[in-house]
Amino acid sequence: MLRFLFRRILGSIVILILLTVVAFLLFFGMPRDPALLMCGKTCTPEALENIHRTLGIDKSIPEQFWIFISGLVAGRDDFSQGPCPAPCFGYSYHTNEQVWSTLLDRLPLTVSLALGATVVFLFVGLGTGMIAAWRRGTLVDKSFTAGSMVLSSMQIYFLGPLAMAVLVYQTHLFDEPRYTELTKDPVAWFTGLIIPWVVLSTIFAAQYTRMARSSMIEQLQEEHVRTARAKGMSRRYVFFRYAWRGSLIPIVTIIGIDLSSMLGGAIITEYTFGLPGLGHLAVESVQFSDLPLLLGVMLFAAAVILLCNIVVDAVYAVIDPRVRLS
Amino acid sequence: MGKGGRHAYAAISLLAAGALVLTGCSEGGSEGTGNDKQDKENAERQQAGIEFGDAKASTGPAEEVAGAKPGGTITVLQRDSFAHLDPGQIYVSDEMALSQLIHRGLTGYKATSDDGKEHEVVGDLATDSGTTTDGGKTWKYTLKDGIKWADGSAITSADIRHTFERLFAPFISNGPTYIQQWMADTPGAEYRSLLKDGPYKGKHLPDTVLETPDDKTIVFKFKSAKPDLPYALAMAGYSIVSEKNDTKEKYDKEPMTAGPYKIQEFKSGKSMTLVKNTNWAADTDPIRRQYVDQFNFQFNKQYEDSTKAILDDSGTNATAVSFSNQVDAGNLSKVLGDASMKSRTISGYQPYVGQMNINLSQKEMQDKTVREAIAYALPVTPFVRAYGGTDAMEVAGGLISPTVSGYDASFDPFGKKKKPAGDPAKAKELLDKAGKSGMKLTFGYINTPEGQQYSTAMAAGLEKAGFDVQRQEIPAETYYDQVSRVKNNFDIFHTAWGADWPSASTVIPPLYDGRQIQDGASNYSHINDSKVNADIDKASTITDPVKAAEAWNAINEYIVKDVVSNIPTAYYKQTQIAGSGLGGFVYDDVIGGVDPRRLFVK
Repeated sequence: MLRFLFRRILGSIVILILLTVVAFLLFFGMPRDPALLMCGKTCTPEALENIHRTLGIDKSIPEQFWIFISGLVAGRDDFSQGPCPAPCFGYSYHTNEQVWSTLLDRLPLTVSLALGATVVFLFVGLGTGMIAAWRRGTLVDKSFTAGSMVLSSMQIYFLGPLAMAVLVYQTHLFDEPRYTELTKDPVAWFTGLIIPWVVLSTIFAAQYTRMARSSMIEQLQEEHVRTARAKGMSRRYVFFRYAWRGSLIPIVTIIGIDLSSMLGGAIITEYTFGLPGLGHLAVESVQFSDLPLLLGVMLFAAAVILLCNIVVDAVYAVIDPRVRLS
Repeated sequence: MGKGGRHAYAAISLLAAGALVLTGCSEGGSEGTGNDKQDKENAERQQAGIEFGDAKASTGPAEEVAGAKPGGTITVLQRDSFAHLDPGQIYVSDEMALSQLIHRGLTGYKATSDDGKEHEVVGDLATDSGTTTDGGKTWKYTLKDGIKWADGSAITSADIRHTFERLFAPFISNGPTYIQQWMADTPGAEYRSLLKDGPYKGKHLPDTVLETPDDKTIVFKFKSAKPDLPYALAMAGYSIVSEKNDTKEKYDKEPMTAGPYKIQEFKSGKSMTLVKNTNWAADTDPIRRQYVDQFNFQFNKQYEDSTKAILDDSGTNATAVSFSNQVDAGNLSKVLGDASMKSRTISGYQPYVGQMNINLSQKEMQDKTVREAIAYALPVTPFVRAYGGTDAMEVAGGLISPTVSGYDASFDPFGKKKKPAGDPAKAKELLDKAGKSGMKLTFGYINTPEGQQYSTAMAAGLEKAGFDVQRQEIPAETYYDQVSRVKNNFDIFHTAWGADWPSASTVIPPLYDGRQIQDGASNYSHINDSKVNADIDKASTITDPVKAAEAWNAINEYIVKDVVSNIPTAYYKQTQIAGSGLGGFVYDDVIGGVDPRRLFVK
């Protein structure tokens, strides 16, 4: 198991390094001059040159890349804004804030959003999927299946404003979406995130309903399950003891992908509800062509995805011993 | 300032820098009661102009707002977080609005009427708007007694000297550069060589440029007359910085304030809380009030979000407002069509004038008859419609906004106000005369939903006149980068520009001075006309504001009518909304939006 994990971690590190190289070259090697963004209305070649020096982009791309990589590992103290401890992604062109501290500042919201939504969609999605499989062919099954079809075709940018209009502005049942730190006010944290959780999880839950149902039905048709039933074990026992565990294998993989995507920034949800998480930060960095920030968000999201993949692989190995052996 | 500047236009145009302009429009002015009436009102306002106030006008406290009472908290819903808090770095309208509450300068605009339409430039920290005895080459200011920083320390002339000297430092790159260039007597970025490290390595501006003989006196000395100095000093970008507390780049996040409010907490990209500055003395300030206990800013609120929240009008939304967000285009008609909603709105002009640039570097565009054909053919209606209709845009006749002295409502040489859909018959006639019927016309447009919409319809209008229009999309993020390159292949493209103060001296030279054609500069149409250049030089030296306004307007009319390098499209307008629990909600023509200094909780 340890060897398996070690292989996975090593592979992820290599991928991350390659990604860093490609992303850096793409962002910093493109013909766009970020200094123009800061040059103001009376921009002149002299003013541009001055900003180039200030930003450190007057150096060659390999030189910039070496400085960037060194900064990630050892930090930097050559910024006019002040020292930048490792991992140093530099300072935002737009706000002059350290990219790493900005990422850390936005992370708790994204984690709150992702984990909360995951809890909801797993509970609802897996629950309804299992019930549908358990009651296969009944009205309950058909209702859940039809409902999940409808909901999975919805979009967050449609459901979000709709939920706001009905649940917040018309009926005043819920608070406006707002992020409060969990440690400061747990109640406000909870009430402020209910609507984003519900909206985000609605779309995911619908997908998980269908996935859990089909996976469970598939498992129920497996030979070992039929054997267990033939040996006289109760349907309930077989369902939860054998079929349930087997049906989780494909679902765990998808959970890992979905969770890591959300942890990298639920862009549409955060933007729809005006929540300043990593997804919103990604949008801001694109809008302002803030290359250090954009690179930081991208690499951070990539690292989260790779980390989640390692965790998923580990969980996968626990659930299915064949994975370890392979 | 460029609408969208050279920054990411994208979904956000916050980088449209500067909003300290005189803007004119009555409340509900966007109701559409007829352009003629509105134009007349505008013209009357401009004739009034903005005068320089004396010591009496500069004495605090500011007149009380009718019905105002102290206390309460106001929620401010903003789309964009504040990127800069250092006065030297402030040049965008939402930061300028915030600046009204936290920063102070030597001069400022004082509203002399309750409707936010009449103003004068008065001494803010200074005892008056400035005195000059040599036509504007030397300006003397004296600081008031009892003015303090938020930490209780006294504001002295050393702080003022420091404020201006640090503007030459390399890290100050976002704010206005007018006064630095005047001090160095040079255009462009060469001004920095006057004090290239700022005051941080022991060097200072010589007394021949800036003199501070004692703790209270400041004397600006320029090589040529600068009659606009009191206006320039009123810009938020020239608000003062504490010498003792200057932390250079870090000052941009934690500035020392002097206005009626100070920053209690700022979480970039998330929220900001302003609380009362107890060291601010009302009797030193003729411009601001301090009614509200606290301002709570929430960022990331799109126009639609803030509009819906304020329309909700319950809980904290009843005392909510936005300094910069407009009523979104989708809700605008509904809001203005409902009396109860409309009563909570204010409307007015923004500082920008839209214009279609004809690239004079392109060979085919050097034929004036072709340019006239474009001018007649170009439909403006699609542009107005794309941005929300006549409630958000007004068809323009000239390049000088109704918010700027010298605006002439009757000037409309191509009849755009009467025929906003264009005059294809006349244009076709001209194009045939030039023997260019069917000629290719490359139209560079910004790739936003609005850009897509108006460019398609504009192209159709131009094709009716006989042009073969080739639309070329330009990504929003690089739009201004691309169109400001001298070597670009676009024949026509649209830009917008706004004045920094109510004089066309901040419009005509940067946009139409032929000596300023270079990559990244704002002379987008590459106009280099000897008469325009000479007239700019002449107008820049006129010290009488009325005569100067006439001179600038004459250049505007010559460019539009005789050079035909820039076709005016629209004057930008906006409507803002507040919760029913707010009082003192007034559209200030100078700020170009709600005046945050008058707000109170009912």
